[in-house]
Amino acid sequence: MSSIRERAREPLSEKTTRVLVIVLFSILVVIAIYPIIWLVINSFKSNVELFTNSMGLPKTLRWANYERAWRFGIARYMVNSVVVTAATTFLVALLSTMAAYALSRFRFRGQGVLLYIVLGGLMLAPEVSLIPLFRILVVLRIYNTYFAMILPIMAFGIPFTTFLIRAYMLGLPKDFEEAAVIDGANALGIFRHVIVPLSRPIIASAALLQAMHVWNEFMFSLTFIESDRLKTLPIGIMAFSSTLDTNWPVVIAGLVMTAVPMIVLFLLTQRAFIRGLTAGGVKG
Amino acid sequence: MVRRWFTGRTIIPLLFLAPAIIALLIFVYLPVVENFYYSLFRWSAIDPTLRFVGLENYRRLLSDPIVLRSVINNVLYAVISVAFQVYLALVLAAILESGVISRRLAAFFRSALFLPSVLAITVIGVTWKLMYSPEIGVINQVLRAIGLGSLARPWLGLENTAIYAIIGVSQWQWTGYMMILFIVAIQAIPRELFESATIDGANRIQQFFHITVPSVRETTLVNLAVTVIGAFKVFDIVWVMTGGGPNHASEVLGNYMYRVGFRNDEMGYASAVAALIFVITFILTFIQLRIGRTGKEA
Repeated sequence: MSSIRERAREPLSEKTTRVLVIVLFSILVVIAIYPIIWLVINSFKSNVELFTNSMGLPKTLRWANYERAWRFGIARYMVNSVVVTAATTFLVALLSTMAAYALSRFRFRGQGVLLYIVLGGLMLAPEVSLIPLFRILVVLRIYNTYFAMILPIMAFGIPFTTFLIRAYMLGLPKDFEEAAVIDGANALGIFRHVIVPLSRPIIASAALLQAMHVWNEFMFSLTFIESDRLKTLPIGIMAFSSTLDTNWPVVIAGLVMTAVPMIVLFLLTQRAFIRGLTAGGVKG
Repeated sequence: MVRRWFTGRTIIPLLFLAPAIIALLIFVYLPVVENFYYSLFRWSAIDPTLRFVGLENYRRLLSDPIVLRSVINNVLYAVISVAFQVYLALVLAAILESGVISRRLAAFFRSALFLPSVLAITVIGVTWKLMYSPEIGVINQVLRAIGLGSLARPWLGLENTAIYAIIGVSQWQWTGYMMILFIVAIQAIPRELFESATIDGANRIQQFFHITVPSVRETTLVNLAVTVIGAFKVFDIVWVMTGGGPNHASEVLGNYMYRVGFRNDEMGYASAVAALIFVITFILTFIQLRIGRTGKEA
């Protein structure tokens, strides 16, 4: 009630501004969200319905499209995506946390050079390493295996993740560690029982960003995997659209199933997510 | 005593660092160095015997009209992306943070606009291929519905619209994301600056130019660099949407490198294209670091 009275007293231009801003942002939100809603709506249609009335609502909800997409490959791609995302994210988080610990809580000879080696990786585009990596993976006999995705994606994830975690660790007080040393703890004990628990928020944020990146990773997974049974969702879905003889609603159901896990993850973890983004300011 | 424990034993931090360093050397640094080496040879994936050709691949690079087309498209990509993902994103962030609308509404707009950036590139690419499609595409239907039917066309199938159609999708994907980075920078500005400006009679537009813009200068520079560098690395969205066609009209360097290497199997020449990407992104990153440093000093 009081807010209505307050608004009534405001100058007209203020009200007009508010309405204009709300209209502007509503239009932008429609542009941002509509394609996603369009996907969901059309995933329930028949092919004929899609081609005759792509903007309307489906006559019946054809859950069969999802069932079919799932059976025609999405199930396997989903398993592959989960395996690759989980393994890569775990390894990046572990290696980066260890590296960040060494680079933030110790002083030793050669530290500067090693710091440059780790952070210098931020400057290198994965595109540039693509062709030699292909040869290296063949030589290591891991071309066309899970490791062909996990190891390169992991290596390119380490610099940024280490950068985030190290910046956070530099800000931790020395007291806890010193108390632990006096209690007789060694470096590994301090790492496991003091540093990692204290750094949990930033490790979680960094891991979240990394997981989303791996789930959506395209170039390495496209180049280093040949067998359909090893493909992850982003790559599988491309093959999928050709094998299904363009039964588009089924393809669209597959797209929805690829997108939903990340949308849900983002909505559930917005705060941790944004903390990671703003500590780094790097995209894609 | 404690201090000596931390400074003396070099071996312990090295053990913690070793896995990360080894992974970086094998999978990041070695390939980048090798790429330059491989660019001096003619070879293919089927027959990986290296035949030395000197700078032949680079000579070809300089006279290849598709490379020129790609660089022009990358520059277009950079210019349009800067307009949307830096300047528009900054203005949108400032509006959301200005207090014109309630915090809850602002938070909703923020999350909704961010959402496209969490989607996989394949999902985005295929979705927008359908959006642009002449038969079922929403874009053409909307144009016809609002009386602009003459503008309706197969956007991805025409040489003069394909690259713009792709660049548009990138703006859709990233503008909300960049806006969030600006929002956080704006939130760090002390409120008193705005309060005293209001008391002095400055309106919102004056406050934007005299307080917000100078205060978020560093974020602006970082976002500018990230956007420009990103525009020269772009590959996946082009590969999914047009593959560089029609007739190379939407070719970009990343896409061309991939096609030359993994479709035409001219690995040596593809390495030379990759070397060009390296040189461009390296120079841009170097400029970013220099600007970033002066930004901190200022």
